[in-house]
Amino acid sequence: MKKFLSALALFIAPLVIISYPLDYLISKKLAESKTFAHDEYLVWNDIYNGKVNADIVVYGSSRAKFHISPKILEDSLHRTAYNLGVEGQNFQVQYLRHKELLTYNIKPKYIILSVDEFSLQKKQRLFNPQQFLPYLFWNSNVYKLTSSYTEFSFWDYYLPLVRYTGENTSLSAALGSMIVKDHSATTSNKGYKVIDMNWTDDLAKAKSKMEYFEIITGPVVENLFNNFLAECRQQDIKVILVYTPEYIEGQAFVKNRSQLVSLYSQYAKKYNLPFLDYSSDSISMNKKYFYNALHLNKTGAEAFTRMLIRDLRKAPVLQGIAK
Amino acid sequence: MLFNTINFALFLPIVFILYWFVANKTVRSQNILLLVASYFFYACWDWRFLFLLIFSTLLDYFTAIKMTEAKNQALKKFWFWLSISVNVGFLGFFKYFNFFSASFAEAMSNFGLHVDPWTLKVILPVGISFYTFHGLSYVIDIYKNRIRAEKNFIDYSLFVGFFPLLVAGPIERATHLLPQVKNERNFDYSKSVDGLKQILWGLFKKVVIADQCAEYANIIFNNSAAYSGSTLFLGALFFSFQIYGDFSGYSDIAIGTAKLFGIDLLRNFAFPYFSRDIAEFWRRWHISLSSWFRDYLYIPLGGSKGGTSKKIRNTLIIFLVSGFWHGANWTFIVWGLLHALYILPSIVFNTHRKNLDIIAQGKNIPTVKEFVSMLITFMLATFAWIFFRADNLAHAISYIRTIFSSSLFKIPYFKDGTLAIPAIILTMIFLMVEWLGREQQYAIAKLFTGRPKLVRWGFYYLVILVIFIFSGLEQQFIYFQF
Repeated sequence: MKKFLSALALFIAPLVIISYPLDYLISKKLAESKTFAHDEYLVWNDIYNGKVNADIVVYGSSRAKFHISPKILEDSLHRTAYNLGVEGQNFQVQYLRHKELLTYNIKPKYIILSVDEFSLQKKQRLFNPQQFLPYLFWNSNVYKLTSSYTEFSFWDYYLPLVRYTGENTSLSAALGSMIVKDHSATTSNKGYKVIDMNWTDDLAKAKSKMEYFEIITGPVVENLFNNFLAECRQQDIKVILVYTPEYIEGQAFVKNRSQLVSLYSQYAKKYNLPFLDYSSDSISMNKKYFYNALHLNKTGAEAFTRMLIRDLRKAPVLQGIAK
Repeated sequence: MLFNTINFALFLPIVFILYWFVANKTVRSQNILLLVASYFFYACWDWRFLFLLIFSTLLDYFTAIKMTEAKNQALKKFWFWLSISVNVGFLGFFKYFNFFSASFAEAMSNFGLHVDPWTLKVILPVGISFYTFHGLSYVIDIYKNRIRAEKNFIDYSLFVGFFPLLVAGPIERATHLLPQVKNERNFDYSKSVDGLKQILWGLFKKVVIADQCAEYANIIFNNSAAYSGSTLFLGALFFSFQIYGDFSGYSDIAIGTAKLFGIDLLRNFAFPYFSRDIAEFWRRWHISLSSWFRDYLYIPLGGSKGGTSKKIRNTLIIFLVSGFWHGANWTFIVWGLLHALYILPSIVFNTHRKNLDIIAQGKNIPTVKEFVSMLITFMLATFAWIFFRADNLAHAISYIRTIFSSSLFKIPYFKDGTLAIPAIILTMIFLMVEWLGREQQYAIAKLFTGRPKLVRWGFYYLVILVIFIFSGLEQQFIYFQF
């Protein structure tokens, strides 16, 4: 038995010893990839390296990421700004970004929180899970806010390399970064992503598949949202709820949209927050500003950001947002 | 708990250490530990079905004792049939209730009678086909006076529920496993190392070969109407290797795991795709099930003795039952029937035992004749697998019809097809390793023996690396559904 155990230990030892540095190397190189995992590493790296440090931050999903330009905000308001919108995620992952931001960066003064019908949606699957791979090892915030989804097991968070098993595309991306530095161009700028496209047939395709759909909100996400607003008030961070433009025809596609909008109004009232809803604004009626029902294109995003700045300046509770 | 998960990778060493270091004073304490571990292992799927397993164990344990103690043949027969009917009844209810109900309604509709099929949302308890067959063989052996009833309940329960074989076999016999359960087991270095190697090879077969092939077999089978005959042919080949890698991989892990506890399980696969005829294929594929059917069904029916019509009848029965054992679907029955048709000529003309040795034994390459026979046998098996994999008979027939069309000669193309190239290369390397190791119990048993440790360990590290890179796809084992 002694012989067996010592041989086994000798065999396993190199695997254990090598697993930690290899995990570190893969994670480091994967995080250097600029285009893999929908460009999200650029933002996560800025968060973890303490490079966000902005007065104004934008939270939300792709409807924040594609809609609000930090550069225009900075130029007009003379304050530093950063867009932390994350594609395909409900508020749970948006909150993860908020927690990590506060851990590694200076607290923001203002949060522009893009809310929509999907913000409080109950979800079981995690979109683009590869974006978490370099950061989730022994990270309690990531564990708390992503372990309820089906993508990662407990061991992924606590054993080296386990989360990379079968992740062929991620391993290839890491290997690519090891061989050559990723110089690929990216359209992201302080988290903002420019979508320079005209109207597509996405809405027509969705309509051909179903007449309408209904969003089911989850109590866990709702509680998180409520707690977040309370925390921000406690920390003296001003939150502005924004329902960014959504093309009018698409609005009718979500059956319970009006209930969801009124839910945000209630939260705004409860915490005395400005709630800027652009659902009925002229921009939401004009197809030329959109590339699909949910997302503005470059022209729309720039026009909208200017419109948002104008309204931010007007809001009585935001006196002093512009320097 | 699946063999190819981190949970099992932690469970196994814990049980191993407790077994050899804490519970090693007596066989009884080792058996109690293994039984508790086995029940925990099983409960990880669904603890509710643990009661069914315990009930089945209790039933066979008591009826076996009652049979041994029976004062007359009539009483013995009563206890025997009680056990058989309850065992088969449970199996039938959980596995076949919906099938019979739906088939009855369909048959009635042919006579113009509308009957709503009375179906239940019955969940199939994992491993029920396997542990029921354990129990059945035990009860039959006692009834036939081949063995005596086991009085020790712990030992008997471990025979039925030993975790490596609990959910997908190999289907053990009391004559083989019970003596090992009862006897003292001493740690054997060579056996344990051999077990670890077999586990490693089993994981490779499952995670790398089966799961990779499954990815592409699923793409092709799930959308077969969109593809050419050549692509569907490729899909059938993918499935052939998927099912082999999946099930033989599982068996290797089970057998290797048992070796770590000093227990030898029955061999379940012996390189079936290197068979020269279908009879040889069935001596090499799912050996524990085919030998079970041979011993408990085929031979009692008369086997290959008697006239030609009796031989044909017995062969048809055994293969149809074997097909039906796999599941409540006509596709499995046709699969069994096809194999019966394949094997019947050799049974009738008494040539079914001509290939009892290992192909090209002692040689590196087969003769042309051997190669052609092997290829034909593999193609026949692959053809039958189409029925096994198809959703229903109509799906299988349209799949086969497309294969045998002019589009068979087109270049295969399917979504993500280019990504399949590593799977094809790995499968070819796998086949080469299997060919080189075909005279052993499993392919890598003697690979690189006699070479420096660095070479051997280098090979094992390479296998681990490939498993690491390719794991993470489909995890479930096909035979868990049976």
